Amino acid sequence: MIGRVLALARKELRQLFASPIAYVVGTAYVALTGIYFFQHLVSYNQLLFVYQSEGLGGGGFDQGTVPSHINVLNEVFVPAADDFGLFLLVVLPLVTMRVFAEERASGTDELLLTSGLRPFEVALAKHAVTYLFVVLLLAASAIYPAVVVSRAALGFEHLIALYVGQLPCSSFTSSQIVAAVLGYSIPFVLLDFAWLSNAVSEPVARALGEIALLGHYGSFPRGVIELREVLYFASIAFLGWLASLTALELGRAR
Amino acid sequence: MSLLPAAGLVMILVGVASHYATRSLQGFSAFPAANVALGIALVLVGAAARARAFRGFSGAASRRVALRALAIFAAGAIAAIGLGVASRSWTARLDLTVDRLYTLSDQTRSLCAELDRSGAVAIELVFFEDALLAKDARLLVAAYGAACPRVSIRDASRSEPPAGARALYTTTATTVIACRGGVCDPVGYPSERNITAALLRLSSERSPRVFFLIGHGEVDLASESDGGYSGLAALLRDQGFDVRALVGPAAAEGPAGADVLIAAAPERDLLPEEIALLDRWLESGGRMLVLAEPGLRSNLYSDLLLRWGFDLEDGVIVDAAASPLLENPSPLNLLVHLFAPYHPVSRTLSRRTMVLMPTTRPVALARKPQPDDRLERIAFATERARVDHDLTRALAGRSPARSDAAIGEPAVAAAGSYPRGGTGAAGEASAAEARIVVIGDRDFASNRLIGALYNRDLLLNAARWLASDESRIALTDKAWTPNQDPLTLQQTVAYFYFLAFALPEALLLLGIYAWWRQRA
Repeated sequence: MIGRVLALARKELRQLFASPIAYVVGTAYVALTGIYFFQHLVSYNQLLFVYQSEGLGGGGFDQGTVPSHINVLNEVFVPAADDFGLFLLVVLPLVTMRVFAEERASGTDELLLTSGLRPFEVALAKHAVTYLFVVLLLAASAIYPAVVVSRAALGFEHLIALYVGQLPCSSFTSSQIVAAVLGYSIPFVLLDFAWLSNAVSEPVARALGEIALLGHYGSFPRGVIELREVLYFASIAFLGWLASLTALELGRAR
Repeated sequence: MSLLPAAGLVMILVGVASHYATRSLQGFSAFPAANVALGIALVLVGAAARARAFRGFSGAASRRVALRALAIFAAGAIAAIGLGVASRSWTARLDLTVDRLYTLSDQTRSLCAELDRSGAVAIELVFFEDALLAKDARLLVAAYGAACPRVSIRDASRSEPPAGARALYTTTATTVIACRGGVCDPVGYPSERNITAALLRLSSERSPRVFFLIGHGEVDLASESDGGYSGLAALLRDQGFDVRALVGPAAAEGPAGADVLIAAAPERDLLPEEIALLDRWLESGGRMLVLAEPGLRSNLYSDLLLRWGFDLEDGVIVDAAASPLLENPSPLNLLVHLFAPYHPVSRTLSRRTMVLMPTTRPVALARKPQPDDRLERIAFATERARVDHDLTRALAGRSPARSDAAIGEPAVAAAGSYPRGGTGAAGEASAAEARIVVIGDRDFASNRLIGALYNRDLLLNAARWLASDESRIALTDKAWTPNQDPLTLQQTVAYFYFLAFALPEALLLLGIYAWWRQRA
């Protein structure tokens, strides 16, 4: 089984990197994160300058005029990590939407399902390849967090969070445009349900708050890995894989 | 028909986005609401159309496959949701921050255990989710909830906070308020130090009394100038001490009511009867913190302290190893980083937690008053330090390099404990032991320097030890100091060129190559 999954994964990987879309997505992501990281860095330097300015009461190491909460973690890393998560949501569907939809559009899905590969092997291989792509994307843009990544668990929660709904959505339709819309919609709607809080009762708002991605994300950029948050993202990723599998099985049944 | 749900999802997205863009202006208005409602309707219509167009499965085997797939999905979904719900109460976490910012220190854990043992009324930490610093504080507050059985967390956005907390909530800068039995106490900046200090204040049945000796040229307790001690007084009050001024120990109230007496560098002699009274008070188990300074000649040092085993020779410590990190790297400005590792006053301090002391008087040990007494040097300058007895020459920065013999790690602070037969003010057995801490500098506790490095910790540790409150020795202030160092302009620009231009450029060129190969 592992051999079949690996063979399919290799084929998917070759296909992905033979098309320019992977590079365009990588370029967009790295450029966006680079510019925003630089902006946070400049703002931090300006903030330090203001705090250490002689005109504001005299600065200097021994006077402790820079409060301890003004540091690279709070002023550069955490806001940059928040931005990076959103950027992944923006650029990734361009790649993930084609994973299943392209097979349907080109009619190779039937070939795939009758090739002796079981549906869960297909879903597993395609998920693995797209996760690997995100790993490569993060690695390409990881120069700046590399300084702090040993202190803060940046990144892997993105890998999981960003796949919410994207693969299963693209497996439900043969239209790449619809797949893209679904790929964008589900994670963005799941991102935060605060917009609904005025329209629903308090218990419902609380339950929605538990589901929303945003509330589960905050501890990772701060350098804390909480078991319950890891389980949350793992559950979402598992559900995504399960939905892809179900879609493939239903397609086979029809 | 599949475009209908797509259009619906776009409308939902626009509705949500427009709500976020305008919520500060008008709340949930008609435009976002209409978009969301219409979007949901389109999605439902599209789904219904797809369902109607469904022609069914081709046979019993297909139906079985479909049912099995759906059953597996339902079971998986239920398992995932169940796991998510169950894990809400799991608190296991891995704190990977450099200083373990979100892991409670031993002191806080010890306080929590003490609260649990005493069966005291539970303390509630009211957490304001909308506060400006809520993101910073959430993990820390959760750590208290997990580690302290007698401390509960109340999220003010989910359940109504107690009236006392509501009254203290002033601005969005209020993040955490601690309450116990209807009495509430604002925490201030939501750090572990401040939250634990609030727990201390609320849990203390009786505040230790700290008297400051005045009337002999001591540092002014109320002065807010750089050299004043208003910051020290505020710090002690914040830590639950009852701080008062004592106009000479011979005054009517005397030092008898004090748990700790602080003599902050008296510049003049005390009256002989005052010295005698202090001596008797110490014999009965009194506790005293003396801050000295080079050049001061009071009989408190030469008579009283000498009798209790401390020899404050007149001179100033000159240490060539003074850190170049200081703005003024004078050899008189000591970065003290050598501490006695097992003494309660100094055990939380180390090479990483330095104390800044400008112009420090050496504190040497003399003969012990009684054989059972214990005298210990607790903080030292480096082995390159020496004592210059010509204060004028030293202050002028003209100390010759080898004018006095190096004496090797001269002490800047020492502590003594003296088991005596009497009973202390509070009547506890432990209070029968007299205790004295002598520190050779007064400026390190001034308003200018009390917040510098770990000066505060040395002072609070001394006050807590003197008040027989070792279990609440000051928390080490956790701050990610290395990351306050700014990047240079050159480094920042280098980052920018590489990240925003060179790396994307390389990826784009690879993309063009892939496109060219695909065409070819």
